[in-house]
Amino acid sequence: MKRKTSRKPQASRAKRSLKPSRTSRASAKAKQAHATDTLVTANARALGLTLDPAWHGSIAFNLRLILRHAALVDGFALPDYAEPAPVFHA
Amino acid sequence: MLDTTDADFAWSTASGIAAAVADGRASATRAVEAALARIRERDPLLNSFTAVTERRALARAQALDEARAKGMRLPPLAGVPFAVKNLFDVAGLPTLAGSKINRDLPPATRDAALIERLEAAGAILVGALNMGEYAYDFTGENIHDGPSRNPHDLNRMSGGSSGGSGAAVGGGLVPLALGSDTNGSIRVPSSLCGIFGLKPTYGRLTRARTFPFVASLDHLGPFARTTRDLALAYDAMQGFDADDPACADRAAEPVVPHLEKGADGLRIAVAGGYFKGKTAEAVAAVDSVASALGANRDIDIPQAERARSAAFIVTASEGASLHLDRLRARARDYDPAVRDRLIAGAMTPASLMVKAQKFRRWYREEVLKLFAEVDAILAPATPCTAPLIGQQTFMLDDTELPVRANLGLYTQPISFIGLPVVAVPVPLAPLPIAVQIIAAPWREDVGLRIAYALEAQGIVAAPRPAL
Repeated sequence: MKRKTSRKPQASRAKRSLKPSRTSRASAKAKQAHATDTLVTANARALGLTLDPAWHGSIAFNLRLILRHAALVDGFALPDYAEPAPVFHA
Repeated sequence: MLDTTDADFAWSTASGIAAAVADGRASATRAVEAALARIRERDPLLNSFTAVTERRALARAQALDEARAKGMRLPPLAGVPFAVKNLFDVAGLPTLAGSKINRDLPPATRDAALIERLEAAGAILVGALNMGEYAYDFTGENIHDGPSRNPHDLNRMSGGSSGGSGAAVGGGLVPLALGSDTNGSIRVPSSLCGIFGLKPTYGRLTRARTFPFVASLDHLGPFARTTRDLALAYDAMQGFDADDPACADRAAEPVVPHLEKGADGLRIAVAGGYFKGKTAEAVAAVDSVASALGANRDIDIPQAERARSAAFIVTASEGASLHLDRLRARARDYDPAVRDRLIAGAMTPASLMVKAQKFRRWYREEVLKLFAEVDAILAPATPCTAPLIGQQTFMLDDTELPVRANLGLYTQPISFIGLPVVAVPVPLAPLPIAVQIIAAPWREDVGLRIAYALEAQGIVAAPRPAL
């Protein structure tokens, strides 16, 4: 889930210069979208799924959403001894 | 005093019907006939039923009336009509689970365990209810059967995935229904339709003979228009069942005898941070409930946003695994919105799924620590009141979010660790919205006692729609 942030009125010149330009952000986004499309095609083959090309965009959108959620979980450090809870018992 | 006109039956409680049938003021047959008449009259508007089990219901009602005529003592839900989400097995019907594909299944040969338990308590099944396809839904929309509609505004969503259950109870077709809740599918329709819903502790109620979605997150539970009815149904359904591997080996812990203890002595806090309402209606609902309970303390549920993300991954991955063979064979027969989510879920890396399960255990331990300080936590059930049918996005905190994935924003972090929750409806105008009363594992009694006290104060109630 991507939240829009309010634009800060006075970002410093130095900081502003470190930000990627709008063009490079767009290019990074396009690369990411291409990577997800490639992933969808490869995974579909590995899983034996026959996809209608018309479905690719929506599947890729959903996969990007899952991966964004996964990144949030992945970013949380847990010790090697942490046990998973595949079947939860309250 | 209950009379036996259809209009009176339409809004009577399950406990009121059972009392009238038990003492002979009404027959079970009359109660069932009235429900069937309401379904015929109003369901063309609500689209909540996918099957009506008229013959079976009338036969069962007649058997109850004969038992009473012989002087036999009737069970606690005698003559109460109820219906179930169509992922419950009903003998003689294919178990649709909201899908086109399952229509090809042979009819079930035996009822789901919870139907058997409710019928053993005297309740009478009158039909199966519409739902989101394979329960992967928060809207109540269904591409095959059409959307179930909100009884308070027919142009609005009932909520999902137990949308038919919410619409049928909220619209006065039946006083009691059953649904499932994997990420919020009992609590979201309760909120949008303005009724009471109970998602018990994971493992409390047997799921035997119901169509699964995410085995490690699936729960079943009741919907009703009063807390007492919710508790009556819940008590009738408790108990171990070896046919559900996740069902806990615990004795039944009846709640009805404890309802009148109310909320006195209970420590109640409001969930802060992630759970702070972002719309006027969500804020007003939680404030009203908190103020009535004297709950003036905020508590932080740690890493709730991450918990929601982890629930999202577990759902995507386990749900996809369940459907993989069907996706290979019949992908075109799915609702495209469900199909594309499931296919994406099948592509989730296993290593990230295991990380989500590891996080789940960590999060559970942290949240359980909070129950040393409090007995219950309040949080909004949904971010907003019912969106319009077909609405794709809503605004939250100046951010545009997809409706389908985000109506369960506040429910997912709670069911992720199986905590019991009672959703209580706050009758705001023009549309209701619910608050979650979250308790420690196995303490459904705490949530139901608080709900009962709030209802007695008139703070929460199922508003009667102008249908």
